[in-house]
This record gives sequence, C-alpha cells and structure tokens, in this order.
Amino acid sequence: MTTTTKAMPAKGETILRLSQICKNFGAVSALTDIDLEVKAGEVVALVGDNGAGKSTLIKVLAGVHQPSSGTIDFMGRPASLDSPGKALELGIATVFQDLALCENLDVVANLFLGHEMSPWALDEVAMEVRAWTLLRELAARIPSVRQPIASLSGGQRQTVAIARSLLLDPKIIMLDEPTAALGVAQTAEVLNLIERVRDRGLGVIIISHNMEDVRAVADRIVVLRLGRNNGVFTPDASNQELVAAITGATENSVSRRMERKSVHAQEQTGSLT
Amino acid sequence: MSKPANLTPAPAEAPLDRSDVRMRHDDSIGAMLRASLDKVRSGDLGMLPVVVGLIVISVVFSLLNPVFLLPNNLVNLLFDCATVGIISLGIVCVLLLGEIDLSVGSMSGLASAMVGVLWVNLGLALPLAIFAGLAAGACVGALYGVLYNRLGMPSFVATLAGLLALLGLQLYILGPTGSINLPFASVLVRFGQIYVMPAWLSHLLALVPGAVMVLRGLRTRAGRQAAGLSAPPLSALILKAGLLTLGLEFAVFYLNQGRGVPWMFGLLIALVVVLDYALTRTQWGRSMFAVGGNREAARRAGINVRRIYMSAFMLCSTLAALGGMLSAARLASSSQQAGTGDVNLNAIAAAVIGGTSLFGGRGSAYSALLGIIVIQAISNGLTLLNLSSSLRYMITGAVLAIAVIVDSLARRSRVSHGRA
Repeated sequence: MTTTTKAMPAKGETILRLSQICKNFGAVSALTDIDLEVKAGEVVALVGDNGAGKSTLIKVLAGVHQPSSGTIDFMGRPASLDSPGKALELGIATVFQDLALCENLDVVANLFLGHEMSPWALDEVAMEVRAWTLLRELAARIPSVRQPIASLSGGQRQTVAIARSLLLDPKIIMLDEPTAALGVAQTAEVLNLIERVRDRGLGVIIISHNMEDVRAVADRIVVLRLGRNNGVFTPDASNQELVAAITGATENSVSRRMERKSVHAQEQTGSLT
Repeated sequence: MSKPANLTPAPAEAPLDRSDVRMRHDDSIGAMLRASLDKVRSGDLGMLPVVVGLIVISVVFSLLNPVFLLPNNLVNLLFDCATVGIISLGIVCVLLLGEIDLSVGSMSGLASAMVGVLWVNLGLALPLAIFAGLAAGACVGALYGVLYNRLGMPSFVATLAGLLALLGLQLYILGPTGSINLPFASVLVRFGQIYVMPAWLSHLLALVPGAVMVLRGLRTRAGRQAAGLSAPPLSALILKAGLLTLGLEFAVFYLNQGRGVPWMFGLLIALVVVLDYALTRTQWGRSMFAVGGNREAARRAGINVRRIYMSAFMLCSTLAALGGMLSAARLASSSQQAGTGDVNLNAIAAAVIGGTSLFGGRGSAYSALLGIIVIQAISNGLTLLNLSSSLRYMITGAVLAIAVIVDSLARRSRVSHGRA
C-alpha cells in the first residue's frame, strides 16, 4: 500500500456516525431512522434481505443519493454528502455493485478517472507505473492495463474497481457485494485485502449475502430489514440468529427448511433402527 | 499480500507490463501489422473506411472527369473543406458524449449574417464582428447546456428547436435585402479565397508532424524505460514517421504545382491538433470519453458531468460560428442561404465517416479532418460532373446512411469481440 499522506484517525475512534437517516423515493420509504457507526480499524458488515435498503444506504454515503432527513457526522463534524465528488474528497471511497467502470476506457484511465495526474498534460507513464504497483499489491491477474475494461472478466473488473477505491487513500471504504462475482481464490484475496485495509486503520463497510464471508472478516454485523435497523450482532452469533434478524421472524423459510431436513433425517435414522 | 503459489513468477528483468504470460506482445513490425489486422477484423475500423472511400472516390471521379485530380481542383477542395471541417470538429465533441447538435448549420448561417451586418452594414471593426459571432455561438451552446443539464431536454430536440429559431434570427437580422456582399479586398475574404502558404513554408510545416512524432516517441520511450515499463520498438516509430513525412511532403509538393496550401486549411489543421491534444492528453478530454462511455460511472468518479456537457455544447456552437464566418469569407457574402441545405448533414456525416461513433465514447479530432475530405471530395466531384443538387443531396444522404450503418455494425462486432 502507499504511504498515507492525510492524517489517519486513531484506531477505535469513530469516523462515521449516522443518526436517524431517512430516504424516501416518492411514497416508498427505502430507509427509516437508520443509525450506524463506523470506527477506525473496524469492519462493519451490512446484511439484510433483498430490498432491505443496504444499497440505498451505501449510495447515501457515497453522495449518489441525498437523505430525506437525518444527520451524518464524519470525523466528529457534521457533513453533507451532496455529490460523489464531495464524498471522495472527505475520504469515503465506494466500490459499487455495478462497479461503475467506463467500458470504453482502459484500466489505467479507469483507475485514475477524475483524479488524473497532471491534468494539463496527462502523465501516462507515472499513472501506468502506479496502476501496476497497485494491482500487484492486490495480486490482481490483469494481463495488460492498456486494454479496455470491455475485454476484462467480471472478477478482473471487480479487482479494478477495488484498486480504484484505494487510490485516493480513503478513511472509509465501502464494498457493495465485493465477492459476488469472484472465484474461490479471488474471494479469499478480497477478504485478505479487507483485513489489510482494516489493519491500516481504515473503516470498512461491507455488504454481502454470503454469511460465511461476513463472519470471516466482520467485527460487527448490522442487520437491516425493510429499511430499518434490526439488530447488531458479533461475528460469533449463530446463523439462525442472523437469519431470524434478517427475515424478521424465528419462524421463516430458512428455519422451516432446516426443520424439515432434520425431521427427514430423524425419520431416516428411525427407520434404520 | 503474498503472491499465490500458482502464479507463474515473472522473470526478474521483465518490464512491469510484460510479466503476464498470457499476453501476446506485438513488438516486431510484422506483429504490429498482424495486430492491426486483428483490430480491423474485430470491428475497430479506425481510418480504414476513409482510406477505402478516398481511393474509390478518386478513381471513380477522375475516370469520369480528369479535372478532379488536378492540383488546382484539390486546392479548391481544401478551401471548401476548411469551413465545414471546423463545424464538424465541434460535432465530434458532442458526438463523443453521445449527444448531437442539429443546429450547427443554422448557427453557422447566423454567424455569417452577424459578420455581414456588424462589419459591412454597421461599420464595426472586423475583429470585433468576429468576436461577436464567436460569442453568439458560445451563448447558444451555453443555452443548450442549460436546457440539457437543468431541464433534462434531450439535445436532439433542443437543437432541432435551435435549428429553426437560429434560422429565423438569421433571416431577421439580414432584413429584407437578404444578402450582404463582403468587400473583396478585405483580409477576411482574401483569407477565405486567396491566401496560400509560400511553398517553402508548406514544405517545412509538412516535416513537423513526423519530427514531433519521433521526438515524442523518443521521450515516451525514455520515460517508460526509466520507469521499468516496456517500450515500443524504435524501428516501427521511425517507419511510421518516415511514411507520414513522405506522404505529407508529396501532398504538399502536388498542391504547390497548383496554387499551394490554403492558410484556411492550415487553420483547420491547427484546430484539429489542438483539439486532439485536449481530448487525448488532458483531464478534460479523459472526462469527455468517460461521460460518453458511462455517464453514471463518470459522475460517481467525481467528474462534474454537467460542466462536461456544457463545455461540449459551447465548443460545438462556437466552432460552428467560426466555420460559418469562414464560409461567408469563402463566398464573399452573407446570405439567407448560408448554413442551410446540406451543411448540417455534411458536418455530422464527416465526423461519423471519420470514425467518431454516434453512440458516444469513441472518436477523435482527426475524424473531422478525414471525414470532411471524403465528403467534400464527393460533393466536388459531383459538381464537376454538372449534376443537379437534387442528385447531389440524394448521394450525400446515401453516403451518410452508409457511414452510420458501418458505425453500428462495427460497434456490434466490437461488443462481441470484447473491445470497447
């Protein structure tokens, strides 16, 4: 990783605090009274079913959507995230689910998009060297940084998107489903990467549907349900507890399925004896 | 992060960008030719349509009328190219964003009328009149930008409305006479009709692109090698620069058999070079391509998308105004007919034929230059054959249709070959 130039917050210090965040799309309230806190050197996992509001929350923090009400404190000061540029400037980097890459540009251009070196006479050599170093550090397997994004596979694009978020030395990085498109080895690499980013003292917010991944890296698991907070768990919480919080009931399709399985198994063992 | 064991370790001395064993690297001249052939096959046509078009056009028209290839006819051709070429340069900017400006013809007509009225009728100094025309262009572009950014009006509709409104304004300021003659002895008209470069200067200028190519190539090579990156082979660089210089010197020599290289064409080339630099080597240019490729991604990368749209619309209208004033100089008059007819379509067709995609995110400043040469060659050849304008319109329309078809087919092929 690069040496950080900006002053990093001390470990354990609260970087980001959301309180009472609401977001309405017309008559639909996508987020209602969301509270969230992220400390330096901490991985917070955001879990919830489809439509729970995870991606909306990420977009609010990235400056893509503006909250309808509520306050956001960044480094102890109230912040208004009214544009993606503002969020980046503050030090909130985001890897979006759709990656938000320009397919017609090459890897270097995408990594440095909006933050090119020497704007009046682009320094392609320096940018290419930086791109290679960054991708090397992520153990990325990208054959050439001069090919357009259109020719890369899903996993390679994911790596480019993550590399881009780290380019600006952010204080918080948010990853929306970072491992969904990745193979086994690359998933492990991304999880390693998340841990390394955390050890550098950054705050990490990760959205994932994969409970195994979440438990592997998260320090806290925040559950959203239908746009509301629905509990905070530690990674040693049982799967059942998590699923119950996510679906909103102890009696749910997952538990019913488990029950059916166990009954079935008992019947089988019973018939054997 | 420790390197996974199964990744083939790169040889220690391999440059940074040559460590992946899966890449084929085209380092020799033969391999470079093969790579460009692959590119064309996958739908990245580059300048191929222009070259093929120009060869077909020259053969056909010179068979039909040998005057076509005479030096003086080609000099006239270049005079004509400059006016619409400059308009087309602006079109490249809006097309890069995936937008369009249909009012460039009317804008050029309005600017030519403004020069006539302000300079000849009202007796304003020529530079002031020209400045007023350019400012009017910038204002119209800014208006399109506001309509697009703030009111969400599609550029297609906004500029279609502009086409009519600007034409009306042009007719209004020209008044009942409808036409103003510009004085023949003036600098403007002489620039548009007579001024050519001295032979020695044109030969000297023809050396510049090759020299710049070699110097820049050498500097890039040195920079890349110092940074531990691979560098393209020297032989290919010298070969390219040599061929370019030979071609340009021959063209200049041939034109100098006639009147010589028009200064107005020199202006077009200068503008093309400046815009090319801006598009490929500055942050603004990178943002243009990004917004044209994926607007939302560009926005999330922190690019001020609205400003980019605004700059493109303003640049397009301003260049259209400049082109209009030069065409007034070319014709030595500001008339009601200026900017009507096929000016719009020629400007758009030139950009597309030259390789700028209608779908945004692909193109270059040079496409305007190359495309306009093709378009003007067709129009010039048809004029030499004494064909009526009805036929000329039909043929130009067909050429535009073919250019767009080639563009969309090439795009489909690029998608299936994993190129952008």
